[in-house]
Amino acid sequence: MVEIFQNLGHGFVQLLEPVNLLSLGVGLVFGLLVAVLPGLTLVMGVVLALPFTYSMAITPSIILLTAMYVSGTYAGAWTSILFRVPGEPMDVPLLWDGYTMARRGRAAKALGWTLAAALFGGLCTATAMVMLAQPVAKIALTFSTAEYFALIFFGLTSVVSLGGASLANGLISLFAGLMLATVGVDDTYGSYRFTFGVPILRDGIDYLVVMVGAFGLGEVFMRMGQGFKSAPLESVDKVSTQLPTLREAWAVRSTFVRGTLLGIVVGIVPGAGATVASFLSYGVESQYGRRRHELGNGIPDGIVAPQTAATASVGGAMIPLITMGIPGSGATAIILGAFMLHGLQPGAQVFETSSHIVYAVFASVFAAVIGMCVIGYLATRTLVRVLEFPEVIISAYVVMCCILGAFAARNSITDVWLIVVFGVVGYLCDRFRFPIAPLVLGVILGPIAETNFMTTMISYDNDWTVLFTRPISGVIMFLAIATLVYPFVRWLRRLRRAARGALI
Amino acid sequence: MSTRLARALPYALVGLASAYLYYVAAHIEYEHRAGTLGPDFWPKLVLALAIAVCLFEIARVALSGGRGAVGEIAQLAERAAPGEEAPAPPPESLPRLAAGIALTALYVWLLGPLGFFCATVPYLAAFVVLGGYRRRGVVAAVSGLGTLLMMFFFMKVVYVSLPLGEGAFREVTLFLMRTMGIR
Repeated sequence: MVEIFQNLGHGFVQLLEPVNLLSLGVGLVFGLLVAVLPGLTLVMGVVLALPFTYSMAITPSIILLTAMYVSGTYAGAWTSILFRVPGEPMDVPLLWDGYTMARRGRAAKALGWTLAAALFGGLCTATAMVMLAQPVAKIALTFSTAEYFALIFFGLTSVVSLGGASLANGLISLFAGLMLATVGVDDTYGSYRFTFGVPILRDGIDYLVVMVGAFGLGEVFMRMGQGFKSAPLESVDKVSTQLPTLREAWAVRSTFVRGTLLGIVVGIVPGAGATVASFLSYGVESQYGRRRHELGNGIPDGIVAPQTAATASVGGAMIPLITMGIPGSGATAIILGAFMLHGLQPGAQVFETSSHIVYAVFASVFAAVIGMCVIGYLATRTLVRVLEFPEVIISAYVVMCCILGAFAARNSITDVWLIVVFGVVGYLCDRFRFPIAPLVLGVILGPIAETNFMTTMISYDNDWTVLFTRPISGVIMFLAIATLVYPFVRWLRRLRRAARGALI
Repeated sequence: MSTRLARALPYALVGLASAYLYYVAAHIEYEHRAGTLGPDFWPKLVLALAIAVCLFEIARVALSGGRGAVGEIAQLAERAAPGEEAPAPPPESLPRLAAGIALTALYVWLLGPLGFFCATVPYLAAFVVLGGYRRRGVVAAVSGLGTLLMMFFFMKVVYVSLPLGEGAFREVTLFLMRTMGIR
């Protein structure tokens, strides 16, 4: 324990270096701006920032991206509350109580609740991340490939069963992602798969190319089709933030705690990020909250639940990333990419080999949470003015960042062609309601899943039951299957109820 | 009936594509070692699952036509959304979308021969105009100055070797690089 605090102290000292502080500040401001703009999602923002880190040292790079990730979970709430424009998908639940509270003339109070929720959730998740990471890394050292495969399998099934409007579409997206990950030379046998004689495909398809294309260009193409517009900002001059009193906050203490715990747990599950956390937290509040019957009427519980969970998911998602090299969300997948681009593979050994970098990143999460709240308190009015900027110009530069980011990775025009292709794929997925998140996570986690599965099979003479007979992997596999089967059971029950109703 | 057919069509197409890829996977060349699964096992497993999901969805659409199993978020959003829904997306303009995609593809095609500067300036201007923005001064600044700024940042600060172009276009890029002190 003392060692953890000492290392964290060193992390804070490192954070005080000018380049790290500058990265933190830039990351915070850009994260807030990205979250405010409806055309730019948090993951997209982190993707677009990646090429700017190529020439930076590893610590400021990761601090920049992490700060964007943290602050990106907060500022989208402002536009949800003030203008009924969710900056991010995770901010949709804030329309239900946040916007309603604002419409009743209490916008400043709604913004205050958001800030308090982000601060509480953020500081708790940063503490949990610091306290849990090292013990989890020690446990991860005892994991064999069977446990790693089970964990990834759980992540993949949870991203399908938690998100999306159609489970079948989510599964198809996931399988498409897993297939894209098989293109190129196979790691275990060294044979070419699905290259179709195209030389560039022999190196495989980089997940960053898929992410940049599907999330970045796909979104721009969709907005191009729908027509670019700017949000109406008539009331922006009156925007202010009024923090809740301690007594008011105490009255919703259980919502703060529930949302935070849920956010951390959802964050830890590989694949599920802030959006899942935000929706689930609101859903749990609507079922178990003390004032569940008043939800939707502009009560603080409906703001605190999604916002604490969204921000709290950040620390949770950083735990599997740092300790096992498994990204817990889209944004952490990019941060994993940044680690690897700078020659550092996160995993159980990272506390032995590069603890100074890890603790500097941990310290930056604390600083980012406090920084974003300070900026949020002082500069909401200024930052939401970015909505007045023509969306088409921002989108044009988003395209440029996507193209340059893809080109810069390998100096290859073919990669640029690939992001255009995945941009169209991303648009089509969105158009036909195939969720993009499972596709991207399939590409990211597919190679890790396959390698661990094949190694397990080689080690245990192709006996797949080992995945269920080893205690830890068995529990995780059953959880994963239950996660996947539950929506089907619910669907069958609904069908049976409907059939019974028709008979009556 | 035609509605059901339209709803089943994407699954039929994905199923057929998966079946073709399964065939390709079955012909992956490798040196077989006894007791090993081979490099084709994983993709075949994934494709078999994809085909199974497609067949299930086609059967479901054909038999019930109703909505299938939904994810937890969609379920919660339906149950919890008390009144305020996110605004519905505006109608789509397919010609503008197609033009945007074609413009981007044309830009990528011209990036090599024209170089970054000469390809990006007209691309940015055309993209902004296509998006409905008409203030000429701003369009010129966004495309011209924006391209120069990106060129400076990526070549001088991030050390990315952007395409220089060919022939006269290369000379233009090199002149600009010299002017901005990029080596």
